[in-house]
Amino acid sequence: MTRFTSARVAGYTAIAAAGLIAGLALGRVEPVALAAPFALALVAAAVLGHEPRFAARLSLDRERVLEGDEVTATIELSADTAVDRLELLVLLPDELSAVDGPTRALRLRADDERTLELTLRCERWGAFAVGPLLVRAGDVLGFRSWEGRLGEAQMLRVYPSEESLLSLVPPLETQVSTGNQVARARGEGIEFADLREWRPGDRLRRVNWRASALRGELWVNEQHPERNTDVVLFLDTFAEARVQGRSTHDRVVRAAATLAHAYLQRKDRVGLVGFGGVLAWTVPESGLRQLYAIVDTLLTSDIVHSYALRGVDVLPPRTLPPKALVLALTPLLDERTAGALLDLRARGYDLIVVEVSPLDLLAPAPGSQAELVHRLWQLSREALRWRYEQVGVPVVTWREGMPLAAALEEVKALRRLARPA
Amino acid sequence: MLTRDTSHAVTAALAPSAGLGVLLLIAALAGWEKALAWALFVGGAAYVGAVVASGHDVDSDAPLIAVLLFLAGELGAWSLAERWRIRADEALAWRRAVVLGGLALAGLVAATIVVGLSAVRPGHGLVWTAAGAVAAVAAVGAGGWLARR
Repeated sequence: MTRFTSARVAGYTAIAAAGLIAGLALGRVEPVALAAPFALALVAAAVLGHEPRFAARLSLDRERVLEGDEVTATIELSADTAVDRLELLVLLPDELSAVDGPTRALRLRADDERTLELTLRCERWGAFAVGPLLVRAGDVLGFRSWEGRLGEAQMLRVYPSEESLLSLVPPLETQVSTGNQVARARGEGIEFADLREWRPGDRLRRVNWRASALRGELWVNEQHPERNTDVVLFLDTFAEARVQGRSTHDRVVRAAATLAHAYLQRKDRVGLVGFGGVLAWTVPESGLRQLYAIVDTLLTSDIVHSYALRGVDVLPPRTLPPKALVLALTPLLDERTAGALLDLRARGYDLIVVEVSPLDLLAPAPGSQAELVHRLWQLSREALRWRYEQVGVPVVTWREGMPLAAALEEVKALRRLARPA
Repeated sequence: MLTRDTSHAVTAALAPSAGLGVLLLIAALAGWEKALAWALFVGGAAYVGAVVASGHDVDSDAPLIAVLLFLAGELGAWSLAERWRIRADEALAWRRAVVLGGLALAGLVAATIVVGLSAVRPGHGLVWTAAGAVAAVAAVGAGGWLARR
């Protein structure tokens, strides 16, 4: 620990010495009387100040929480020697806040043990290091102090909050494994598809007796099988619009977490691609472990400014399985993402673009020229949406304050109108 | 204190230094911590100048002035320390107040003894002068040792 001496010690030393010398030089007693309390204070500082010996440990009651939750940080203190005044500060990132403040001051007697609790509120998602502790121990009058760092930083993962979705966007094609998605193909299932004539090998329980009685020959029911799907969430991390704590990237991450959770609950396989300055991906898998893997990847995703030219060919083939539904979440701010998505469409992927609109964050500056520039920018975005629609990619705009479910319903309506043969 | 028993010329000469001391005290409370010690120094020097200029034998208010100067410094330092808004146990403030009060009282007693000993006859002046010199050196030495410890 580093020792610090208050500036008052030097000042009091100067006053005491000057008073005594002035008393000698002037032959007066008043300067000596002035010096007396200050000299006594120096003696008190020498007596009161001694380097303290104590230990501190920081711990959290949970390692994983949701956005908006509160977590309790516990500080355990034990002192070998008395500490007249011990000040503690828990180092917190900007996204976390302490309900009663991150600092405490207390006194410890020799061989004393105390436990303090701080309530931390998680304002935003992310992976954070809480701590270590900054400590300052000093004497009762603050003449001398010792400062240092104690304890280890504790990792805390704050998961993004999710919206509730009543239904999801169905893919155009399903995979061969069993799942919850009704496939367009025909086979063994629950959902009725069609009637056909009986063929050798058909099971007796599939016979539609009413149709058979009407036609005088055996007719059987055909069903749509339930299959699972592969869904790839494609996140544009090249650029974001951010104003005063609100950003398009936050909404992208929350939407990705919501969609991943919803599709995985349906036993679909979900993968993730973070396409930007730093590439990140998670190969499509199913199950609860995949949800944690996806969310952990989301927590570390961030906008990294880069001039690198990237295409989807840099991604490993397993991240984009054939017939996968690719849900792209993008603010449409970077041309490289547009190029990559059009490339995916050209490769035959079932692509949907959810535009996380930055218009609510980027209001035009006052002035006719700024407004003209803003309108031109909006027109260029319209042109980009038209490029997607020309190749059959539905693009929906998800504005701030609008539920994600509404944007997904718009996608489903667009696909119903333009259903491929 | 400055205007009592002093001529107008002396008052006019010493008043600015007292004013400077007040300004330095305000600067210290505004955040410039080093100004606190300078404020006390200037204030004390102004008092000594006034006392010398008055020409009287011994000012019996000297112990009180000394303790008030000391308390001004300590309370100023305390208020500067409290500006960080640290959530503290209540007992800490009480303990500091008690220790400070005790130190101020001890300082008052010490200053009063010093003023009282000024009644010692001139024949013993050399002994007291030597004791004063030793005390001055000890004060400086104690401050330096404390800073290095």
